[in-house]
Order: sequence, then structure tokens, then C-alpha cells
Amino acid sequence: MVSETTDYGFLRPPDNTDHEPAYRVQSHYKPLHTFRLPAGAGRHYKQQYGDMYFLRLAHLKPAVEKVATEAWEGFNIAGEHARRVDRVLDVRQGELCWVAGTVYMDLPLKPNILDDLTKENFTSAPPPRRTYVDPSNPALTEIMMEDESGRLRLTGAGLASTHLATGAIIAALGTENSNGDFEVIDIKVPDLALQPRRWAGDKEGKATRPGKIAFVSGLGITGTSSDTLALELLSEYLLGYTGFSGDTENSPSADASTITRLIIAGNSLGARIVTELDSDNAPGEKKKAAPKKYGYDAASYNASPITHLDNFLAEILPSIPVTIMPGDSDPANFSLPQQAIHRAMFPQARAYATAPPTAGEIDPQAGWFDSVTNPWEGDVEGWRLWGCSGQNVDDVLRYLDFTGDDGEEDDSDARLRIMEAMLRWRCGVPTAPDTIWAYPFQEDDPFVLQSCPHIFFTGNQPKFDTRVIEGQIPLHLDGDGGDDTEMADAADTSSARVRLLSLPRFGETGELVLVDTETLEVEVVRFGVFGGQ
Amino acid sequence: MAASYLPENVLNERRTVTYRSLSRALKVHATLAKQMLFDFHRTENAKKPQSVHATYVISGIQKPPPPPETNGHGANDEDAIMQSSPYMPSSMPNQDPADAVRVTSIILTREENLEAAKSTFESVSTIHVYSVQPTVLQDLNVLTDVSRETWSAHVHEDPLEFGKQWGMIQNTHVQRRTGTRPPAPAPAPAPAVEAAKTSESTVPAKRPFQEEAPPKKADERASKQSTPASDSQSSAKPATKAAPKREKSDLFSSFAKAKPKQKKAEDVVLDDASEEEPEELFPDQGDKKTEPANRESRKEREEKLKQMMENDDGDDEEMPDADEEEPPREPTPPVEAPPKPAELKEEATVQGGRRRGKRQVIKKRTVKDEEGYLVTREEATWESFSEDEPAPKKKPAVQVGKGKAGKGQGQGQGQGQGNIMSFFGKK
Repeated sequence: MVSETTDYGFLRPPDNTDHEPAYRVQSHYKPLHTFRLPAGAGRHYKQQYGDMYFLRLAHLKPAVEKVATEAWEGFNIAGEHARRVDRVLDVRQGELCWVAGTVYMDLPLKPNILDDLTKENFTSAPPPRRTYVDPSNPALTEIMMEDESGRLRLTGAGLASTHLATGAIIAALGTENSNGDFEVIDIKVPDLALQPRRWAGDKEGKATRPGKIAFVSGLGITGTSSDTLALELLSEYLLGYTGFSGDTENSPSADASTITRLIIAGNSLGARIVTELDSDNAPGEKKKAAPKKYGYDAASYNASPITHLDNFLAEILPSIPVTIMPGDSDPANFSLPQQAIHRAMFPQARAYATAPPTAGEIDPQAGWFDSVTNPWEGDVEGWRLWGCSGQNVDDVLRYLDFTGDDGEEDDSDARLRIMEAMLRWRCGVPTAPDTIWAYPFQEDDPFVLQSCPHIFFTGNQPKFDTRVIEGQIPLHLDGDGGDDTEMADAADTSSARVRLLSLPRFGETGELVLVDTETLEVEVVRFGVFGGQ
Repeated sequence: MAASYLPENVLNERRTVTYRSLSRALKVHATLAKQMLFDFHRTENAKKPQSVHATYVISGIQKPPPPPETNGHGANDEDAIMQSSPYMPSSMPNQDPADAVRVTSIILTREENLEAAKSTFESVSTIHVYSVQPTVLQDLNVLTDVSRETWSAHVHEDPLEFGKQWGMIQNTHVQRRTGTRPPAPAPAPAPAVEAAKTSESTVPAKRPFQEEAPPKKADERASKQSTPASDSQSSAKPATKAAPKREKSDLFSSFAKAKPKQKKAEDVVLDDASEEEPEELFPDQGDKKTEPANRESRKEREEKLKQMMENDDGDDEEMPDADEEEPPREPTPPVEAPPKPAELKEEATVQGGRRRGKRQVIKKRTVKDEEGYLVTREEATWESFSEDEPAPKKKPAVQVGKGKAGKGQGQGQGQGQGNIMSFFGKK
């Protein structure tokens, strides 16, 4: 029995007190449709991917050149001034210069489309590999810089201090050696893009109570009962049935009514469904009364994961708006940007979504239940969010070898570092057309971060982690020595602060991440069962 | 009802009751339900120790667990490593060091482990009873089945209406499309069946069905004027009453739910259809013993079932068809020609002025067989079509008739075979 000392308001006989209904803080929400692909006939896959690199370089080269010019203006070694070179092919041997271009990394284990074609492997997605590098033979890793004119192999000590991935746009300072390789002395990246002010994308002001944005990823619903208990607790918490008592002194944590919105960052369905089904089918399953089936095979299609997800959503939607992004195990297209999970998947939850767009209607108002793309960008409570379900970080991680540092347990930190690097590269999915399947964009590379988000999140990471990064504060101190408030203002506009969130898989950790809408402080709520047995 | 619900369900029926299922069943606030569970647990165990077991939810801040999970708390050392950030050596004076992230926990535990669980907490914010059950739960995951059952039993209760009653956090800005969820029909038939059931557990098979309206009231009576009625009844026939009552809360309401609410119930249908198919054959066999006339109809039924499976594309517009085929499964099936799978059929429903449906077409399919030969076959497949012209509004009529028929059979069958209904009910 429970000790009678304290009853927490629940461990006592019923009384007839009236329970005041709690009201949820309103959510201000404005998704951006950066990653929405043209529907139907407007979507073509015949284009070449080269355009994406071209567009990315064209967009980011000025930015990186600006950074590089500021840094390397007047840089000289032994009286030789660094000269800016426009194209990588114009680099002259023995001459100190700097040049901007796209990084291309050739790694021994990187999937190669030509190999796949020759082996007739081209029909299905390549099996994921843990890494593309071959730690036993680091010499096989080649880093090159390319632009529309050609390629230049990079070598040298300057590279050792940095980690790069294909698709990043950098400027490198150095000199070409006798082998024709470019000896790198220093590297610059575009650094954080301009960050909009809070509420910049919104006319309506900050008229709300402070609230919290909830992030969860990797719900991993497989349809078996074993994975749903934590989910059950999660929905009860979000609905306000369970959780923390009202008294603030020993429950500092969030009252669930302050949570304005739940963002589900991918992999809501467990990835193991397919293999389970395979093993189900393989042994002599009793095939009763099913001589021949037309259409889809009902025996191999298990609707229960998506049904559970739909139930979960339908349960919480009456109380909290939800934004759901697909992940690589969700029923959406595989190549990035993954398009929204179709509303037909959610027979119940879709009542809360917007009506199907009628012809001619371009941009319907965002629904209460918003099934969005992956990656996704949008304004929530005035903050700009940019998030991906994890493919971007996972893939860049395969380019890099972090095991050297102190064992591979440092993984999570590596993931935050990759996220930071992406922001500084101004490219959310740098490896996109190379090792992540992507749509061949023609007019625009949406993976380039046009503006710096306030919250940059990545789903389905092994564990939770977070950090705040700041942009470089440009040295504008030389100016007109105004008073302090002006200085503060200037700093406020020029230095971006970004909250990085590496979201754990809920299915494994049971963790929900809450971000305060005023301070961007983070806290974690963990759901679980005590004592596994 | 409130007073007897827990003893009946936990002690007599030996079921697990969670605070949410209690809150839903009795339409009370979740907090009150938790208190009721606590009270019940205490009084019953005072009467007879170990007769009722409970699970608890503890929320608060857990002590940082010793070795493995250093989430959040481990951030410090990681930041220390960070200082040497490899990407941008020039721009690193930035991280907030020691970004101590607070981790709060909501942990479910058995009664037996409560103290142990509490000891892992640094500070406890709340403890409440999550569920009570007559035995120790070996597997806590059973609780999800309870909530799923609860959920499906109360699926017709619009959370936007009832949420406040249950203590759900209200959101004044919620937007839901109207038209997707048929609001009215759901509650009406459910109480109808239900009330008929409670009021007379032995109904003659052929019974006129004029009581469409009165049963509803009867049900309201049954659920609203809870305690006195049930008290008097429970003294009269405690055992028999328990069974119908139980059915009332899950079987029948879910049975009724399947009919009018095609959309909402659809996923339940899909879900359970796959899992509970085997069981479904048993009621049929039971039928046959009592009514041998059904023998040949069973074949038809199976054929129809099969066909249903074929159709089962997950379309919304499925359900009316399924409903129409539902009656044959009942003991007195209407004499109906079994649909030949070979002949091309067309089924259409009207929804929102648009006519949609499926038709069977012969398609040529070329497949590679095991030996690598290409084989072309003609197959009849279903394809969905839709037409914009509004077809005759036949749906309401169908629904009325169906509702009556379904209910009639429900009652007819109700006598003595209540549990069969559960299979249909889940369907």
C-alpha cells in the first residue's frame, strides 16, 4: 500500500470537487511548402541531377566568397598574397590562392550507381551501410572540390581539422602542389544564413501565453501490443489525463496544456513490419480458404500499424494539433523530399486535416492535423523550424569517421556536430543527390537553407541531445560607436542562435522533447514501465 | 451503476479496469476515476487482502540512472569534447556549456514495485492508480488491450463533446471538417440494442422492432440514473446482470458502431478482420447446430467473405457493401443468390453527391512464374470508379432498413448466444 503521508490528489477517496477544464494554449502555425513537389503530371524524373549542384553552387558561392574574402583579405605567406581564383581549373601550380566550389568525396564503400547498374541492383533501394569510409585504408578517401569547370583534389593538413561531406560548398585557401593536388591551408564555409526575427513570417503578434512545442520521432508502431504502452502514456499525457500535478513547487515540469503542438518527425511506423511478415510467410503458414487472391494480398498486408497510428492521432487530435512528417519507414515515397503521408492512411485523423484541395486551389490553409513533407520547414509560435526525419544526418555520418576520437560511443555528439555543420554549410541535406535519393530539382535546390531556422531538428537519432549554436558575430565594432542599446540591437540582428535538437526514437527511449516557446529551453519527458519483467 | 461498476467488472468479471476505461464507462472526470480506483482498491483489500491488484503511474524527476542512460546529464562532458569543434575552428565560442536538460519521467509500475520505483525518483510529482485488476499483471502490455477495447467501445462518443467530462485538455481552436464523421446516427442505434439487451435478456426471436425510439430513452435512463437502479437490480440478479452489462459496454456498442459509421469504424474493421477471422467461424458453427437450414448459406457466406477480402482495398466506400453482406452471417439469412465471382459486377455508393464504387473488370496480367516463363492471364479485378452525377439517394433508405434488420437479428440472436455477437460486434 501507499504511504498515507501524501496523496497527490489522487490517492484518496473520491470527493465531489468540480474539475475545472484546462484549456490548451493556442498554436500559431504557418507551414512553408518549400519541399512540396508538383503533383501528378508536373513531377518529372527525367532531369539530370547536375542542375541541383549547379543551383546550389550558384546560390552559395557568393555567400562563401564573402566569408572567405573577409577572412583572407590580405592574407599572405612570405610576402605572397592570397589571390582569389574564380574557377577551380584556373588554379595555378605553386600560387597561393583560394577558390570556392562543391565538395565531392569519393569513398571506398560509397554506393555507386554504375556498379549497381552493372549488377542489376538498380530496382530497389541499396541496403543502408553504417559507413562509407574504410577505416583500415584511409588513403582511399579522396576529397575533391568541383565546380562547373572541373575538379581539384584536395589534400593537406587543413583538411584534417575539418569534416566535410559531398555537396557542401566551401572555399579553400592553399596552393597546388607538384602532384596537381591542392594543399589546403584553411577552409571557409558559408556559415549561418540570415535568421529571421521571431514572428517574422507572421502578421499576428505574440499574443499568446508561453507554451511548449513537443517533438517526438520514431514512434515505431509495429502493431504488436508490446510497443504501445509508452505510446498510451504519451497520449494520456498529451491529453492531460496523467502527468504532473498542478502544484508547481514539486512539479516544475510542463503542464501538458502548455504544449501547443506535437511534431512527429518521421518513422511513426516501425521498420520491422516487412521482415516480420516475411518470416511469417516463410514457414508453412496455414493457408486456409485462400486459394487465389486478386489485388493486394491481404495475408501479407498488415494494416494494424497504420491503424494504431491513426487511432493514436485521432485520440490526441481533439486536444492538440499535430504535424506529422514521414520518415524512411513510413508509407511515403522514399526519395527526399518525402511527400506528406497521404490522408487516406488516416481514416479517422483526416477529419482534422484540411479538405482535399480542389482544383485550382493552390495553398489551402494549414490543417489542424497537418501531414507535411520531410524535410519540412515552417513557423511554429513564430519560430522558424527546419527539420528532417534523420536521413540527412545519418547519411552524412557515413561519410565521416568519428570512431577515431574516443570510440564510437561519441556518436551522438557527432550527430550534433553534423547538424551544426549543415547549418553552417547552409545545406540541410548536402548529400542529397549523391547518396540520398532525391527528386531532381530543376529550378531551385530547396535543400539550401535560405534562412537560418531557430530550431533545427533531426529525428530518429539514437539518443536525445541538444545544443545552442550561434553564428559568427561579424566584427562591426569599428563603426559609429553608438550607445549600448544600439549595439545590443545590432548584435541581436546579426548573430543567429539556433537550437539544435537530436530527437531520440520514441520506440526505444520513450522520450518526448519539449521546447519552450519563449526561451527555447528544452526538457525531456520520458515514458516508460518500471521493471521490465 | 457507479458503485457497482468496479466490483462487477473487477471481482465478478475479473477484468482489468483502467482509470480511463472507468472514466469513459461512467462518464466521469479522469481525476475522479483515479480516486475511485484508489478507493476501490483500498476497501476491497481491507475486506480481503490481495483480492485486488493495482498499477500506478508515478511522475516526477528520476535520479540520474547510474551507468547507461546519461541523456541530458551527460551533456556536460560532451560539451567538453565539443570545444575542439572540428568544423569551424574559428567560430566556436558559442555553446551554452552545461545545457542541463531536465528529464522528467512518467513511469508505470505494478503495485509490488511501487516502492522500488519510487526510490528511483529524486522527487515525485504525482502518483495515481492506473488500473486495478483481480490478479497480478504478468505483462503490463495487457493494459493497452484494455484501452483499445475502451476506445473501440466508445468510439462513437465524440471527444469534442465528451472531452471536458473526461478531463481532457480542451482546445478551443480545434478544426474538424464536418461531413466526414456522421455525427447523429452513431449514438442512436447503439443504445437501442443495448437497452433492449439490458431490459430483457430473453427476447423472443421474432420481435417487432418499433422500439427504435423508446430504447434510447431507456438507455439514457440506464446510464444516467445510475446507482439506484443498479443497486436494486444487483440485489435481484447479480450474476445475470453482470453479463449483459458488460456486453453493453463493449460488445453491443461496438456492434452498433459498425453499422452507421462506415468511415469511423472502418479501420477497426480492417484491423480486427485480419486478426479475428478464425474465431468468426465458430459462431457460424454454433448457428448451424441450432439452425441446420443455414448449412448451405454458410458457403455463400464464405464466398461473400472471400469476395469481401478481394474488395478490401481499404476504400471508404467499402463499408456499405460490407454491411449489406453482414445480415447473411446472422442466423436467419435472407435468401440471396450467392454472388458469382466470375460475373462482372458493379457496386456503387453515393456519398456527398458523388457516386463512387467498384466494378469488376477483366484485365490481362502478365506475370513471370517460378520457371521464368511469362504467363498472361485474364483476371477479374476490381477497380474503383467515381462519377460526378449524383445518383439516386438510396443510402438513407438502405441504412434504415439495414439498421432494422441488423437489430432484429441482434435481438433474435441475443437469447442465449450473446457471446456470438461479440464477433460481429468487433467486425
